[in-house]
Formats: sequence, C-alpha cells, structure tokens
Amino acid sequence: MSEKNTMQERNLQRLSASQRIGRFLVKFFTYAFLILMAVIILFPFYWMIISSLKSLEEYRLNVPTFWPQKVLLRNYAEAFTTASLGQLFYNTMIVGVVSTLLSLVITVLSAFAFARLEFKGRDTMFGLLLATMMIPGELFTITNYATVTSLGWMNTYRVLIVPFLVSVFYIYLLRQNFMQIPNELYLAAKVDGTSDLKYLWKVMVPLSLPTLISITILKMMGAWNSYIWPRLVANDEAHRMITNGLRNAFTETTGDVNYPVQMAAVAIVSAPLFLVFVFLRKYIMAGVSRSGIKG
Amino acid sequence: MVDNKQQWKAWLYLAPAIVLLLVFTVWPIFNTVRMAFLENYSGLKAAAGMQFEFGIGNFLKVVEYKRFIQCLKNTCILCVLTVPISTILALLIAVALNSIKFLQKGLQTIFFLPYVTNSIAIGMVFAAMFNIVGSFYGTENELIVTAGIINNVIEFFGGQHVNWINYGSTYEANMFVMVVYIVWNALPFKILVLLGGLQGINKQYYDAAKVDGTPRRRVFTHITVPLLSPMLAYVVITGFISGFKEYTSIVGIFGENMGPPDDAGRLNTMVGFIYDALETNSQGRASAAALILFAIILVVTLINNQVSKKRIHY
Amino acid sequence: MKVVLQNLTKIFPSRDKKAGKEVVAVNDFTFEIPDGKLIGLLGPSGCGKSTTLYMISGLQKPTSGKIFFGDDDVTELSTENRGIGLVFQNYALYPHMTVKQNILFPLQNLKGKDKLSKEEMQKRAYEAAKLVQIDELMERKPSELSGGQQQRVAIARALVKMPRVLLLDEPLSNLDARLRLQTREEIRRIQKETGITTVFVTHDQEEAMSISDMIVVMKLGVVQQIGKPQEVYDDPTNLFVAKFLGTPPINVLEGKVKGGKVYIGEDAVLEVSGVADQDVVIGIRPEGFELDENGPLHCALSNVEIMGRDVSIVSTNPASVNPLIRSIINADNKVDLGSKTVRYSVKPHKFFLFNKETEERIRYEVK
Repeated sequence: MSEKNTMQERNLQRLSASQRIGRFLVKFFTYAFLILMAVIILFPFYWMIISSLKSLEEYRLNVPTFWPQKVLLRNYAEAFTTASLGQLFYNTMIVGVVSTLLSLVITVLSAFAFARLEFKGRDTMFGLLLATMMIPGELFTITNYATVTSLGWMNTYRVLIVPFLVSVFYIYLLRQNFMQIPNELYLAAKVDGTSDLKYLWKVMVPLSLPTLISITILKMMGAWNSYIWPRLVANDEAHRMITNGLRNAFTETTGDVNYPVQMAAVAIVSAPLFLVFVFLRKYIMAGVSRSGIKG
Repeated sequence: MVDNKQQWKAWLYLAPAIVLLLVFTVWPIFNTVRMAFLENYSGLKAAAGMQFEFGIGNFLKVVEYKRFIQCLKNTCILCVLTVPISTILALLIAVALNSIKFLQKGLQTIFFLPYVTNSIAIGMVFAAMFNIVGSFYGTENELIVTAGIINNVIEFFGGQHVNWINYGSTYEANMFVMVVYIVWNALPFKILVLLGGLQGINKQYYDAAKVDGTPRRRVFTHITVPLLSPMLAYVVITGFISGFKEYTSIVGIFGENMGPPDDAGRLNTMVGFIYDALETNSQGRASAAALILFAIILVVTLINNQVSKKRIHY
Repeated sequence: MKVVLQNLTKIFPSRDKKAGKEVVAVNDFTFEIPDGKLIGLLGPSGCGKSTTLYMISGLQKPTSGKIFFGDDDVTELSTENRGIGLVFQNYALYPHMTVKQNILFPLQNLKGKDKLSKEEMQKRAYEAAKLVQIDELMERKPSELSGGQQQRVAIARALVKMPRVLLLDEPLSNLDARLRLQTREEIRRIQKETGITTVFVTHDQEEAMSISDMIVVMKLGVVQQIGKPQEVYDDPTNLFVAKFLGTPPINVLEGKVKGGKVYIGEDAVLEVSGVADQDVVIGIRPEGFELDENGPLHCALSNVEIMGRDVSIVSTNPASVNPLIRSIINADNKVDLGSKTVRYSVKPHKFFLFNKETEERIRYEVK
C-alpha cells in the first residue's frame, strides 16, 4: 500500500517536472520573441541618436561603431541653423496652439448640441456627419485648395488652421463621452437655473477631461506631423511647418549626405513628440485605440 | 416655447461647425464630383472663363494613364503585403504581451513608441539605415561613400550588400524597404487595439478551457482568435484604408522624388497621383482619381463588413 | 469519488505592497466529502468558499494542505488532469460557438487513449444535452438562450466528459427568483441521476439548505460548521451560524443567566441548568415563540403581518439587538391588535444561548 503510494507520488512529480520545463520553455520563448521585437522597434531610434552624435568621419567608418567615439553635440547646433528649425518650431507652435484651442471650443459646443439638446433632424445630421468620415481627405483637399486660393489665403497661418478646425471624429468621441453623463445632472442644473454654458463649463467639461486631453494631444500631434496640406498652401519661409521644413532642408535622402546633421535634425523634431508621449501616454493610447487615425 | 428655444440654441452652438463643414467638407464633396465629370477641367482655365463639357473623360484618362496604373499597382502591393504581415505580427506580440506580467508595461510602452513619430522624420532615419555601401550615381563614380547599418550587418554576416534605395536599385528592393517601414509604423496601433481586445476577454473562458485540458494551440485558434475577431476585423480594415492612402512614408524615405534618383515616381501611390495632378492644375483628373480611391476604399470596407458578418458570430 | 481536504490553507499575498498584509482566504480546512453527495459551501462574500472550490478544481494552488480524490493525492496535479467539471458563475460559454460546439469542446481536447470517434462524441454530447433537457437547442448560440438555458448548457459541458467531481460556482446567482427555484431542483435531479460528487458554492443559505446533502458554513476563511442542513439549523455551534441560516433570521437579544434562570430584561424566560451565571447573547428562532397570556416574555406589539398559513408578529423589546423581534406562529392564534403588549413563552429547542465574548454556543439543559 505504502509502496503504491510512493510510486504514484513519484509519477506525479515527474509529470509536474516535465510540465514545469514546458512552462519554462514557453515563458523563455515568449520573452525572447518580445525582446527581439522590442529591439527591432527601438533600433531606428537608437541609430538616430547615436548617429546624430558622431562626426561625419566616424559615421562613414566601414565598421560602424555602436557608441560614438567622441560625443559631438555640434551636429545639433548645425542642424538647428541648416534647417532654421527655430522659425519652423515657432510656426508650428502657433498653428498647433491656435487650431487646438479653436477646435476644442467648436467640438465641445457641437458635441453638447448633439448629446443634450433636442432639435429637428439631429440624428439625421449626425449620421451624415459620421458618413463623411469614410471619405478620404484627398477628395476634400482638391476643392479646398481652390477655395483657399480664391479666398487669397495662400501662405498665411489662416490657411493652415481654418480648414481643419472641425473634426467629425472628435465631435463623435466627445459626444459619446457626454452621453454617458446622466441626463439628470443636466435637468438638476436646469432646475437650479444654471445656464447651459455654465453647466457645460462646470459639469460636462470637467467630467470629460480625459477625452478633451486626448483630443488636444492628437490635434497637436496632427499639426506637428502634417505634411501634405502645408506643402501645398503655405510653403514659404514665414509659414512653413516643421515636417515640411525638415524634408525641404534635407531633400537628398540617399547617398552621400551629412547624415549626423540630418539625424540631429530628425532627433530635434522627434523630441517634443517623445516628451508628450512620456508624460501623457495614457491619454494618447486612450484616444488612439478608438481612432485608427494617425495625428 | 421651451422646444423652440432649444432648437434655436442648438443651431447656435452648431453654427461654427456647420459653417466650416459647409465650406470645407460639404461643398468639396459636390465640387469634386462636379470637376471629375467636366472634361479636362482645370482650375486655371476655369478662372479664365473657359467652359467645360460634361463627360467621363477624366476617368478614362486616369485609367489609361500609365503612371496611374503604376500608382495603383504600388498601392495594392503595399496593402496586400503590409496588412497581413503587420496584423499577424501584432497579434503574436499582443498575445505574448498579454501572457506575461514582468516587464509587460515597459514592453507595451516600447511597442507603442513608433506611433508617436513623424513618419517623414523617421523615414529619413530608415533611409539612412538602408543606405548603400559602395558607389552611387552610377558605376562610373567609384567614390566609396556612406554606409548604411543594414548593409554593414549583412556584410558582417558574410552577405553581399544590397542596393536598397539608391541610384540603380531594383523595384523589389525599394518595395522591401517600404514594407519594412510601413509594418514598423503600423504595429503600434494594431498591438494597442488587439491587446485591449485580449484584456477584454473574460478570464473565465481560459479557466474553462484549462479545466477541459485544452492544448495551448487550440486555445489560441478556437478561443482567442474567434473572440478577438471583431478587433482583428477592425485593424484589418483600418490597415487597408490607411494602406490605400499611403504617401508620406514614401516621401519620408525617397523624398518628393517618390523613387530612387534614377527612376522618379516609380513608387508613387494613388494619393501621390492626386497631388501631382493637382499641382499641374488638372483638377478634373485629380478629382476623378480621388473618386476612384474613394470607391476602392468603399468596396474594401463593404467586403470586409460582409466577411465580418459571416465570420464574426456574436 | 470521495474528496478529502486536509488542512487546506490558501494565503494571498497582499495587493497593496506597502501595507504588506497578506490575506488568509482559507484557513486550515479539513473535511471529507462523501462519495456521491451534493455539498453546499455557504458563507458571505469573502469567506473563502470560492477559493476552496478553485483549489479543488486546481485553478488555484493551496498554500499548504492536501487534496485527495479517492485515495489519489491531486494537490500537485494540474486542473486538466484532475477530471473535474466546473460550472462558472457566469457560465463562461464560448459566445462564438453553438450549444453543440460548446458541449463538444471538452471532448475534442481528449487525446491518446481517451480520444473518441466523431460518432461517440456526438452521442455523448446528445446524452449530456438530454440530461439537462436542452437537446432541442443544440444549434443555437449562447446569446440566443435565456439565463436558465445557458446554465444548463454550462452544466452539460461540465458533465459531458464524465467528471469525477462536479464543481458549481454560485450556480443560481445570475437567475431570477422563479428560475432559481426551478433550477435548483434541476441541479438536485441531475446530481441524483448521475451520482457524481458535487460541490457548489453559494451565499444564499436557503439555496444551500434546500438541496444539499451537507452544508459547510464558512466565515473569513474558517469553517464554522459542517453537517446536514437541518442539523446545522437546529444546532448551530455559534452565533454566526445561527444568524446566517434561516429566513426570517433568528432574533438576537441580550440577556443574562442568573441562578439557573435566563433573563431578558426583567423577564425570566427559561429555567436552565448547567450554566454558570453570566451575561449571554440569546438567539430565538422566529418559530420558537408561543403566544401565551401568562408567558414570561413581554414585548411591545407593533404590527401583525398575515401570511396565510402563518402570521408574523412584529414586536419590540429593549434587550433586542435588532430593532424588531419577529415571531412566526400559526394563524389560528388570534392576536389582539389593540393591546400594547404581547406575551410569549419560548420553545427551548429553538432557544439558543451564546457566550457574549466568544459568541460560541452555551449548551444547557432545561429544568
């Protein structure tokens, strides 16, 4: 009897030992795969940064160095002047901040109307708005290009801001958020004689702050990354946006380019995005998972 | 009347949005369609008072245009290659991420990093990485110039360096670089959505499967993938839509040239074609191309919806 | 298959790392579940009943102690090798599979010598479905079923591989009141028909009492009492068990024992022997009162609720821990609603004394 028991125990132990090995192998390969992928994902960033710190001679070495022999910050200064990044930053910030602020006001007001006010044709209109999200932006751009030309808006800040103030997607996002706020709160505010705007400002906006922050970040990122439209309508020195400026300053992409300086410029342009990401990751991820739209 | 007051207020709140939408969204829809159906419409000539006949000539011209077919082909190849690759990779990464605890948050952050980048800027980094070792601007120039790390690595392992993107590079090599870059760029969003979906699956399904002794592979194919199918459909459809609108990532690597120095426009896409037409003031042709792009996206979406209806059962 | 739990203990590390306090979910649980019986694990939420169930299932590993199925030590055995069926609280039916596919799923996992032919699988699935009376619904999706039907599918899925032990986690909590009555009879029937040792978890004492062969009352990870439902009800070992079982709940009053008499306030309600003089907590079942014009217990009458066969008399007494005292008596007794007081005598076997500090039962003999 006791012998049989020990036999069984040994069997069980062996079974769980082989299971343990199996589990360990699965864990090992999981981590190996993830870390390999993470390295691939990170490599371009790493390469950008170390290249931006190398001298041109070091960059051109036949056997590449994976850490600069001598850290050169000079490339950054050169990049800044070569691409006149100062002016580009300034232009982009103006466009980004102004368009974000105006866009937020318009989005909040529209989302409120769609979420809380009763008016004729509300649902039809909202449905039509959502339908326009299907249409590729290029279809609008063709006519908008003509429109802003005839308005005489070429090469102004206006042309970079106004056409993109209304985003159906942001209205949709915020409306969904507003709808989750119980209507009783609105009715209670009405009973207390609170005005709509005050209610909006004191109740709705604070309660949907995470969404508003997501919208702000996405909008700012949009301004930072926009390329096609600015290139079409505002490609002069005084209004040029950062992405355009970067591309224009380094038209040569392949061959014998001063890569360290170019990489320094790329790093400078990427830095603000990284900072935003590091501090506001949660909001970006929340907004992005619902959009699928870059910027 | 309270009702009337609400109506009036609603329109007041909506006024700014409506005005802007009318000018920059609604009018363009009509006008673009109008321009597409006016023969050889050009903004410049219209300004000069020229009249245009109604017809479908723009569409015919676009379709016959050799460059357009090339653009369509490029776009389709990129879509067909990058969407499955990035979806499968993202699925594997998301499942792996979901199965671990230690380092999960840190790795998740790393995998999201490419999202917050400027696709032109990072495209320039990829261009640097894929640069050639050896001569460029033809064989007559024997000057040895800048190396790219990818070719360094290939040579380190004893391989022959490849002319990825420089003068004289092949179409296949160009496409390879584009696919790598687009997949790299597309991963974060897909991982984010799929991981969110995985975390939303009730743990009890996995406990139930465990009680029944379900093998790992079967759990993946019979439980995880079906329960994740709405998210998979979502990333596939958004992947196709952004694939058909691919443009800036190519500008990032190849510049406005949209191809290696010796073959400008070789990698041009649908969107690129539209802008080229716009810049030569051929609004009619640009509009027709935009409508074709829209039609393609619409069809892809509808097909996807149909497939989803059949494949997603709950 | 009997199931033996031996000094079973589960300690969860604290979630809040700074506080560093671990949680003892189950503490030193020893019990032998007899073969072929239906056992109810009963207790308020957080008492460790679900943790116990999950440890039996193998989804959670005990911190210490052992689990035996028959004579086999299964403590280290992983879930899939234990041969158990588990019905989850939310059923965990795969939403993308039909009822049939759900029931077939466990069979399709079998491999090696256990592997079944397609026909055999179908046959077993239909048998299981018939047993729980859902064989008409085989092609439906879970979302097209009512809660009660989903429950049956979940049970069929658990039974189809002929488990040695069937485990049910709060099987009735997601059903509405009527379905609950019906389903609990159904579970009883299925258990009887299959003869599989079954353990289920519930926080609803009525549910546990009505269908279990034995109940295990737990509180904060510690087993309070194990026994047949009626025995536990009639003979609770402590105040917690007495309070937890029974609807309406037991009336709890403060009192004292002095000179062989139990006092509630000034009223000497019962003469007892074998109890030292002390302050006590008194528990009287609602059915433990008898209307008695000369009864020793005086209460202020507040209301009489007619319930058909019985009446429920609601009264107050300053010694009562709860605001109201509720007694249930036969409706033949007439109560004068006009009077201000109601007088009771008490039935000794429905009248329990508990230690004021430990809340343990104080046993006594009636003089």
